[in-house]
Amino acid sequence: MRSISLFFRSVTKSLLLVSFLTAAVSSANAQDAAAGAAIFKQKCTACHAIGKVVVGPDLKGINDRRSEEWLLKWIKNAPALIASGDPDAKEAEKFSPAMMSAFPELTDDDIKGILAYVKAEETKPAAAAAGTEAGAAAEGGSGEISNFMIFGLIAVIIIAFIVIVVLNRVIRTLERVMLEKQGVVVEDEDAVSGDRLAGLKQLSKNKKFILFIVLLVVIALGSAGWMGMWETGVHTGYQPVQPIKFSHQLHAGLNKIDCQYCHTGAFTSKNASIPSLNVCMNCHNYVTASDKYDGKTSPEIQKIYHALDYNETTKQYGKNTKPVEWIRIHNLPDLAYFNHSQHVAVAGIECQKCHGPIQTMEEVYQYSPLTMKWCVNCHKETEVNHKDNPYYDRLIAAHDKLKKGEKVTAAVLGGLECSKCHY
Amino acid sequence: MESNKKYWKGLEELQNTKDFVEKNKNEFAESLPMEEVLNEAGLSTVTPRRDFLKALGFGLGAVTLAACQKTPVHKSIPYLVKPEEIVPGIPNYYTSTFNGHSVLVKTREGRPIKIEGNPNCILSRGALDAKGQASVLDLYDVSKLKGPVLNDADVSWAKIDEFVKAELSKVGGKSIRIVSSTVNSPSTKAVIADFIAKYPSAKHVQVDAVSYTGIIKANEASFGKAVLPRYRFDNADVIVSFGADFLGSWISHVEFNTQYASKRNAAALKGGKMSRHIQFEAGMSLTGTNADARIPLKPSEEGIALLNLYAALGGAVSGVKKLTNQKADTAILLAAKELTAAKGRSLVVSGSNDVSVQTVVNAINSLLGSYGSTIDLDNPSYQYTGIDSDFVTLVSEMNSGSVGAVFFLNSNPAYEYADPKAFTEALAKVALRVSFADRKDETASLCQVIAPNHHYLESWGDSNPVEGYYTIAQPTINPVYNTRNAEQGLLIWSDNAVQDYYQYIQNNWSKSVLPQSGISWKELLQKGSVTMAPKTGGAYSSAGNVGAAVAAIVAESNALAKAGDNAVELQVYESTGIGDGKLANNPWLQELPDPVSKVTWDNYVAIGPKYAEQLSIGENDMVTVKTDKYEVTLPVLMQPGQASGTVSIAVGYGRTMAGKAAAEVGKNAYPFMRLVNGTLQGNAAATISKAGGIYELAQTQTHHSIEGRNIVRETTLKDYLKDPNAGTGHRHINHAELWPEYEQPGHSWVMAIDLNACTGCGACIVACNAENNIPVVGRDEVRKRREMHWLRIDRYYTINDSGAKVTKHKEMDDLESMDNVSVIHQPMLCQHCDHAPCETVCPVLATVHSSEGLNQMAYNRCIGTRYCANNCPYKVRRFNWFNYWNDSRFDNYMNNEFTQLVLNPDVTTRSRGVMEKCSMCVQRIQTGKLQAKLDKRTLKDGDIKMACQQTCPTNAIIFGDGNDPNSEVSKALKSERTYYVLEEINTKPGIGYQTKVRNTVEV
Repeated sequence: MRSISLFFRSVTKSLLLVSFLTAAVSSANAQDAAAGAAIFKQKCTACHAIGKVVVGPDLKGINDRRSEEWLLKWIKNAPALIASGDPDAKEAEKFSPAMMSAFPELTDDDIKGILAYVKAEETKPAAAAAGTEAGAAAEGGSGEISNFMIFGLIAVIIIAFIVIVVLNRVIRTLERVMLEKQGVVVEDEDAVSGDRLAGLKQLSKNKKFILFIVLLVVIALGSAGWMGMWETGVHTGYQPVQPIKFSHQLHAGLNKIDCQYCHTGAFTSKNASIPSLNVCMNCHNYVTASDKYDGKTSPEIQKIYHALDYNETTKQYGKNTKPVEWIRIHNLPDLAYFNHSQHVAVAGIECQKCHGPIQTMEEVYQYSPLTMKWCVNCHKETEVNHKDNPYYDRLIAAHDKLKKGEKVTAAVLGGLECSKCHY
Repeated sequence: MESNKKYWKGLEELQNTKDFVEKNKNEFAESLPMEEVLNEAGLSTVTPRRDFLKALGFGLGAVTLAACQKTPVHKSIPYLVKPEEIVPGIPNYYTSTFNGHSVLVKTREGRPIKIEGNPNCILSRGALDAKGQASVLDLYDVSKLKGPVLNDADVSWAKIDEFVKAELSKVGGKSIRIVSSTVNSPSTKAVIADFIAKYPSAKHVQVDAVSYTGIIKANEASFGKAVLPRYRFDNADVIVSFGADFLGSWISHVEFNTQYASKRNAAALKGGKMSRHIQFEAGMSLTGTNADARIPLKPSEEGIALLNLYAALGGAVSGVKKLTNQKADTAILLAAKELTAAKGRSLVVSGSNDVSVQTVVNAINSLLGSYGSTIDLDNPSYQYTGIDSDFVTLVSEMNSGSVGAVFFLNSNPAYEYADPKAFTEALAKVALRVSFADRKDETASLCQVIAPNHHYLESWGDSNPVEGYYTIAQPTINPVYNTRNAEQGLLIWSDNAVQDYYQYIQNNWSKSVLPQSGISWKELLQKGSVTMAPKTGGAYSSAGNVGAAVAAIVAESNALAKAGDNAVELQVYESTGIGDGKLANNPWLQELPDPVSKVTWDNYVAIGPKYAEQLSIGENDMVTVKTDKYEVTLPVLMQPGQASGTVSIAVGYGRTMAGKAAAEVGKNAYPFMRLVNGTLQGNAAATISKAGGIYELAQTQTHHSIEGRNIVRETTLKDYLKDPNAGTGHRHINHAELWPEYEQPGHSWVMAIDLNACTGCGACIVACNAENNIPVVGRDEVRKRREMHWLRIDRYYTINDSGAKVTKHKEMDDLESMDNVSVIHQPMLCQHCDHAPCETVCPVLATVHSSEGLNQMAYNRCIGTRYCANNCPYKVRRFNWFNYWNDSRFDNYMNNEFTQLVLNPDVTTRSRGVMEKCSMCVQRIQTGKLQAKLDKRTLKDGDIKMACQQTCPTNAIIFGDGNDPNSEVSKALKSERTYYVLEEINTKPGIGYQTKVRNTVEV
């Protein structure tokens, strides 16, 4: 069956290749299109797409809608063209409040290349769509098959095992029957096992041994209980399923977006705060991951749109909004006061110190135990970041007088006192 | 010099009554619920072994099952589109207006949680009274209407508009009346003017529950200006007040507190000067407790005394009888002498609402040259503009059937009018009755339409409390319930061109005030107020007819002083906490002990102890006070200092339809008011009789007994000038150290409280409640001594017998002297001792010392042994007997999802079984320090303010870093007057008090 799916794949791949080739050949100069593609990705994709409205209009069919001469002028310096009073430019200006930028650095050839690329791309999507659909179907199929096969294999192994066991027994019975026929008296199996257990029975009468075992069990249970009690309410590794499959690995790891771009409060406030959806929309206005979802917006990103009642095509926000109910992972009890800005902005601690390798987490989990012991240990070890902060000058001077040379940790400055966190 | 004067908090302490001794003998003064737990059945039941095992097994199983529950999943829901100005976790402050005072509203994530004074406010200078502090709780009051009501049915606003408009068109030839308490909002006034323009038969009637018509009318007669003047106590060296409680409730008491203190605080004393304040009054008022000399005077004698004073000052007057009260007579002559000596720097005020009395007061002030210095007629106050007779006219108009529609705006005559029956009957004859009340109150329940108004924190608004001073109010939250601005309703019903009140206010301001002041709308919102250059207050001489006044005063005096069995003179007054009763449903205010009597949750009949003995009435006896028009039965409170032959009852209580907290709290005293010569008088001739029965008042005065230890210190100005250390009782203290000295290398948080500046008003208590999520416990729990206030104000009486100090116990039994007491207020809170007795007895180290000098309390460590409370010599620790904020038995506080929104998220709500006490607003200290660290700067003195300090109108409380020699608090503590309470037991308190100085004159 696997071969069938492989066959499908190769067929679709070749089909795709053929369609690409035809598209490329049909284009007047493939060379231009290739160069144009590079420029297009570099300069245009922030606002434009082919076959879809992003910030700027859909570029599909742009070569037919506008003359090349006009497009050259427009792309080079749109504001100037609007200022010159060109009627088409005026009309184009109305499309979006965001003005088309000027690209004076592009040569006429570059622009022609971009246009060629756009033209080439226009013909592609249909074939590509067909290709990916087929691919998806094939993938789905192979998935099913593999599951079936795994279960089948397991079943075969189990059946084989049972067969072996049964056969073994049959062979032994047959052997016994043969031996009995030959007149050999076979000892009862029970008696043999009784002999085997005799040692154990003796051991069970050994009081020292019993005491030892009991002690062992008590110690094992006790320590397990002790550990269990300490772990009560500690949720290290807590990794609930979130309403949106937001990946920190992608955003913070791969795209290297600064933590504070979204968690703005971390620098200024007690709460690092989960970003409100308008922050998401700063990028996801046009970042739709459609290349992975066959030209459509990613279903996870669509959840943002849905929450905001945002219409992708009209770019309008509706009133039927619905907040996203994230599941809180780090639950510090109410009786403890924790302030992010104190730790992030004043002490300059990396987010990862408490939150772990967040940039590698596909789904976030609780990295630190968030116990008081954990807080206290850190306060005992961490030196106070008092450089260039005049607030600390007096405190440090006073402490230098009292305890010369000692490391000035948070604990030394009173960081272990109850009312620093509990009020 | 050591004072050996005896101070006492209550008569039971003074007389060492059996009950008092019994209660204080116990380890814990609060009554223990032993009886409830070990009642008879509980003690006699036998538990068989099987039952015991069953219970044990069930208990084990239940606990195991309960422990199996999954950890709750906490949701975290961010904003969809976060407003730019909001950062979760950081408060935002908005300017607003409460009662004409510009305030700052602290909001967290869009909900107001605390009101603070606006330092820009020219009236309060950043301070606020108890009512202002408590007003935020009313925003979340569940007793309020959830939406508009038409004929007892919930309807939409459109239906209301349709109905009212249709009814208004049917009014025809009949008149329309808008009844309100004082409106000093320029925009509201303009809206009403527009409404009247549309309906020419309409008229605006202003009536105040406690009115100042007498002063307004007298000023009209004397100076041709029908206004309340602006009094300037900060210019007065000698103040003589006749029953005016200007520190507690009179006109603009917050402003008067700041002014009064400026003449008596540390700075004034440094200059060797202090104002002199003489108070003549019947009941002991907050102002009376602060006076240098207080002379009890019956209401009937008040006018006569004023006439005598006028004569003594050289005023031409005839037909004045001499005061029969010998003491008062001498005092009047002395006062006259002092007033004359301080001509131009003196002020005479009277709390009377009688035009004739106020005419005499005007004549006296005119003789003294007060106008232009201590009284400003050119920059008048608009805080009270109601005219009593206007409302009387309205009632008769309604009764005659000539009124077709009536609107009630912030006015509740069915409760607060002198003759509620006449009003109710007259109102029934009006076709259209509309109330803008936020709840179905006494008047609103008689109306067809209730169009609930916004709370001031939800609405746009403005006010013009005094000439040349305008404040703005802006919404700080979306309306909690489906309410609407009353002004919006009037705009809609009058088909105004501008239908949006916000737009209307903006238009109104840009028409007049903004162009004059030259600031923009945005600047206005940021600053909160606009102050125009004040006019120069000119000198005026009174043209009032004192001769005519004499006859009226004498007649009134005779009417009050009726002879006969059980005849008393009744004085009805406005209390400091509850005020006129509009905020009666506010549990913070109900639980705020009255500054003088320390009674919570009730009003009472105050009687002087000696007079009560004559009438053989005891404390807490139920008595009936009866005048010719009304009677109430209330418990008795023995009030030292109350003039003999008089009783006092507070208004503002006895609300029947205000909500859960106000229900069954006291009795209404408004119907005692009498209409005399066109104004409503709070005095009446009455009889008093025992009604039988006893009602225990929830009084906190002796709850935290200090066992007669001498902890308040006072001196006289004369002694102070001789020796600034006078009265501080500095003695040799044994500094034997049992514990090591605590190092405080960084900050050392300390506080200074100036007893001479503190007037005892109680604003700090409510501010502390709001800041620290302090629960309200209710009347029954207060009776059990379980009030939770972290900060209390101890009020001490001492007998004041012409300089002779009463020291021996026996002499105190002489009740003769009880009418003549003086009072000291002492704010008492955790002293944050360096050698704290509470810390050494805690078995679990739940209370320990910080390196910054704070006595810390870790609630989650506390197991509730209460040893610490027992070992605290200052009695400032409070125990949580219940989960007050989440227990259905404490329903009148915050056992609902709305009121819990007022909680300060930076402070934990304490659980049952845990001890708590003043934390020195540690959340504010931490925030202040963090801000300095974030800004990379040193912490400045004044960056961190305690909630109590911030609201104090007299700046009696100063907090700061004792390690900073230049901080205000260090300077204050260096004062010669500084002493530490119980320093002899070497607790090393972090709070220093400055002695009270009295400006007494040796007779």
